[in-house]
Amino acid sequence: MNIGKILAGIDAGHVATKAVIMRGRELLGYCTVPTGFDVVDAAQAALNSALKNTGISGNELGRIVATGIFKEIIKVPSLNVTKTVPEYVADATGAFFLNKNSRTVIDIGGNIHKAVSYDQDGTLLDVIQNDKCADGLGIFYTNMANALGLSEEEMSELALKSTKNLSIAIQCSLSAESDAIDLMCQGADIADVAGAVSRFIVERVADMCTYMPLTKDIVVIGGLAKSRAIVNHLPDLTKKEVSVLKLPEYVGAIGAAISDGGEK
Amino acid sequence: MSEHTLINEHPDFAKAQVIVAGVDVGAVSSKSVILLDGQPCAVSQVKTRMPEESASRAINEALAKTNFKLENIHYIVGTGCGRTQVPFAHRTITEIPCDAAGAVHIWGPSVRTVLDIGGQSCRVIHCTGKGRATAFLWNDKCAAGIGRSMEVFANLVKKEVTEMGNIALQSDKFPKLSDFCSVYAQSEFFDLIRSKASKEQAIAAYHYAMAKRIATLAARSGVKQDFVIIGGLARNPGITDWVEKILEVRRLAPKPEWDPALITALGAALFADTFYRRQQSDVSKKPEESQCA
Repeated sequence: MNIGKILAGIDAGHVATKAVIMRGRELLGYCTVPTGFDVVDAAQAALNSALKNTGISGNELGRIVATGIFKEIIKVPSLNVTKTVPEYVADATGAFFLNKNSRTVIDIGGNIHKAVSYDQDGTLLDVIQNDKCADGLGIFYTNMANALGLSEEEMSELALKSTKNLSIAIQCSLSAESDAIDLMCQGADIADVAGAVSRFIVERVADMCTYMPLTKDIVVIGGLAKSRAIVNHLPDLTKKEVSVLKLPEYVGAIGAAISDGGEK
Repeated sequence: MSEHTLINEHPDFAKAQVIVAGVDVGAVSSKSVILLDGQPCAVSQVKTRMPEESASRAINEALAKTNFKLENIHYIVGTGCGRTQVPFAHRTITEIPCDAAGAVHIWGPSVRTVLDIGGQSCRVIHCTGKGRATAFLWNDKCAAGIGRSMEVFANLVKKEVTEMGNIALQSDKFPKLSDFCSVYAQSEFFDLIRSKASKEQAIAAYHYAMAKRIATLAARSGVKQDFVIIGGLARNPGITDWVEKILEVRRLAPKPEWDPALITALGAALFADTFYRRQQSDVSKKPEESQCA
């Protein structure tokens, strides 16, 4: 255990790069920046801002652990990344650390969604990731909010007010987008369109979850876990109770920061 | 037929006999064009939110550049996927005849094939020298949303669309991405970055995949010369150049004074002009068939 030691975790995702600074098991600072094209720049910027929030200098960092799709790319000398852990390990470690009763974590991110199950010691049992046709749910969500001229939060709130159960595509977010636009063009209510968008995402996630038994307690993380509409729909479709962890988009980065991953 | 390619800077509202407008409510942006006696006098382009509100915003923005009001417009034609939601339109028509009419009006009677690459849909229209559409092919669902996905993609790499298109042309050798589904292409693009491909290569690969998708559609319907490309993505040189190369057809040069996204709205306005004049003259003589310009 590294109690007292300053640890950093960087989660370089498809869309957003998250950094957290921790002292032992206490979260000191965090920051998100868009990943964009220059993945290393984004990681550096996220780390610097997270450090700035804590008042700790980069030299004091005992260890930097990277995760996320671009973890290998940010393993450059300038960043001084000590090691990398796979995303599902980081998710499980972070979720188990934040909620000791959790046994399954569902991560709904920008381009990938996945579920990981683990036992009472936090040891991984199973992992499942979306198929390629369901890629890009997070990007789709942001996209639809833009199309409707709303912020993501506004879209989520509106979706909760939806009264009609309109439905868009069953498979692909590209078709879902076409269908949502068609609905708008037929004069559907904006709340119902927002509702259909959220429900589509939840259906995709629930479809994925049918391939793995979801053991209680189930926690939800990732950028889309911030959408109340999505979290509200999840129990209907998975037939399980779920709860959202605090700071859901940072759970992967927290997991990375505290993961031992074999290193003593 | 006369060509009016320039926007009249000094419209004289008081003298005008016929004031008409075309409003094109597209999936991504809403456009309007106002004609005074057949001469373009004001245009506008706004983001589409909810269709009805966007149609009003588009026409109001164009009206703000003139000295008259909505009531002064004699006839308005609505088009685009949100055309049924234009409350002030006298009539609505689909995008297909508008594309043809607008393109022939701008590029002249030699145009035979119009490729419209918009935000949500992409279509190929064959037309006569008088701007009448004779055949068309609409994208299948898997090729929907290319325009919007380009926009999303530009946001992801933090570049403006035209700038991104120019970057795409800087690379000749690049890996091939899925050219069937843009969701796949997007995922494979991330894989490319992960394999440390250069920025130019990754952007070029993505543009090529999208251009291939569009070109396949165009090739299926057959491309007869002269060929023009309109719609918002006609502004992206990365797409248009690749489409030309894959199809082995040169398009007519774009008109710098006309934004290619406005052509459909212009076509709608031309129809409005025809409809209004016909309404004013003896309607019973030639009741059927719309003929533009």
